[in-house]
Amino acid sequence: MSGDPLRSVIKPRSLARPRKVKDVPFVELHAGRLQGVVSSGSDAERVYVSYFEAGSGNFYCSTNNNRPCGGLRGSPCKHLTQLLDEAVLEFGAPRVIAYLGLTADPATIKRGSQLVGLIKGGLHKVDAGMVFSRFLTYLQYIHLSPVAAPLPEMAWFVR
Amino acid sequence: MPLSDLRTVPEPVTHAATVLAGLDEAFVSGFGRLASAHLETLAALQRSFHGTPIGEALTGAVAGIGRSEFIDRHFAVLAVARSAVLGAMHDALQAQACAALGRPRPVLEDIPASPAQAAPPSAAVLLDSTRQWLMELAIAGFANLEVGSLLPFQATLDAILDQPALVRIAALLTGFLGELLAVFPAHGTPEIPQQRWADLWSRAMVLAIAPVPAPATRPASGLLAILATDLREHSNVVNLIAHGVLREASGPRLVRTSIAAFKVDVLESEDVASRLATLGETLLAAIASGQALKIQGMPLTAAGDLVWQDKRAELDAKTKPIEVAAATLAQPPAQRPGFDPDARHPALLEELVYFAGSDSAVTKGADGKPTISGLPVDLQRWPTSDDLLPDDLAGNKAVVALLRFDAGRWSLQPVAIDKGKPTPRMVGTGLHEARKKAKAGNLSILQERASKLLRQKS
Repeated sequence: MSGDPLRSVIKPRSLARPRKVKDVPFVELHAGRLQGVVSSGSDAERVYVSYFEAGSGNFYCSTNNNRPCGGLRGSPCKHLTQLLDEAVLEFGAPRVIAYLGLTADPATIKRGSQLVGLIKGGLHKVDAGMVFSRFLTYLQYIHLSPVAAPLPEMAWFVR
Repeated sequence: MPLSDLRTVPEPVTHAATVLAGLDEAFVSGFGRLASAHLETLAALQRSFHGTPIGEALTGAVAGIGRSEFIDRHFAVLAVARSAVLGAMHDALQAQACAALGRPRPVLEDIPASPAQAAPPSAAVLLDSTRQWLMELAIAGFANLEVGSLLPFQATLDAILDQPALVRIAALLTGFLGELLAVFPAHGTPEIPQQRWADLWSRAMVLAIAPVPAPATRPASGLLAILATDLREHSNVVNLIAHGVLREASGPRLVRTSIAAFKVDVLESEDVASRLATLGETLLAAIASGQALKIQGMPLTAAGDLVWQDKRAELDAKTKPIEVAAATLAQPPAQRPGFDPDARHPALLEELVYFAGSDSAVTKGADGKPTISGLPVDLQRWPTSDDLLPDDLAGNKAVVALLRFDAGRWSLQPVAIDKGKPTPRMVGTGLHEARKKAKAGNLSILQERASKLLRQKS
């Protein structure tokens, strides 16, 4: 977020295109990882849990019962590439590059897939359940009741 | 209507803003390392409250903070003082605006307090935790925050979200925490929205002093015509506001109503239209069609907010919102929405204004940005929606705008634009149609994907 330091209401930058919710339902920068949930391109029943670790550049992609993604052959699979694309869209290239500790000029990065070649780490398995439980926690908001009470403080927030 | 009077700002308001800017610098660098300039600002603030009801408490708080006594009470008093200055600025600016517009200032109704349901004791504990967390932010300073001091508060916030009595502070804190986590971990020196975060911090601190009881209401009945809408949104809340004229037996008055739904960042307002519709389907229908609403015994607060209850509203005949706006806003009654004293802030000021003909034409200001009747159009206040686009201003026949104040100047937020069609361009007109697409929409995709993961696990 940037803008006039003496302003109260600041509209954040808008996304370059809408998020592909069906392909990448969930992406976040959390606990030193870029992580999320990616849909299988071939099997509507299958969902992958994917992550990149900041600093080390290690990555992994697996189904939720920890079966590794068949596309992982020492380098990031297409699910991990999709995750990077959505992360750059949602958080902006500067933040993703800084968070992962990559060496790249944010001005030249238009898509997350441009960052794949800069990932220096290798395969490193983590428990997919951890990312999945983050996804469920994230979804808690959509089960909260709608509100009719006046919320004057929402005047500070414009999208 | 000498709107040109609004190109300047009363001197006391400018002076107060300068004092607050000095105070807000202390929030950025942190109360744990106050520079002499910050101590002087605190002393000046304290002197200006001398002899007022909070004068003594503020003297104690400033002295305590100066001695590095970090207790939440001192910071709560500081938040109250900052809010009081902004409340006074709000009142001075409102007086200026109403004089320029030639209309009476809004009058809050006198509604006797009804015995409010007390918030459960668990709510008070959560607010204690909130004040503690907010104090830690202030001690560290906004520029020096670390993820380790932000993330643990998420668990407290999750518990606050489960308390209906705390929904107002929950809506604020989810937005504030989300914004902080979008900046930290920071690499290099982050750009800090100083005034904005000081505003959000102070408002949260004031709301965390004690559970705020639901506002007192009286039943209101009559024909309601919607004139304008506004959309507020952060990653976790969408809030649709409608402004209208309610013709009660005692006469017409302006009212405001609000429906809100919680959400996640990937969802946009259309995606949660079905959630908004569970609360206000009839309101969404009226906004889409331009129909009036017959209101029967709906709760109305002193500040002019109708607390929406769909069962107390019924669609009525079609109206011409722009004509109603023209007729109503030429001489608006004093009975129109305002804010309770503790909610007042210049950024919340909103006066509906109608412009037509050459007055509503868009011209380029000195900085090349659009202006209407000599006042800048505030694009920072313009919600992203296909229902109302900045391009709609070109060649308009009339504009209804909210007169706004931010960054030390008056500006306009266009909220309804007459393009010669029966219904004006207005935010939220598409929500009634969007509510039906819920089955194929992003909300159900998220739920379906989560269920796939659940099934895989077993």
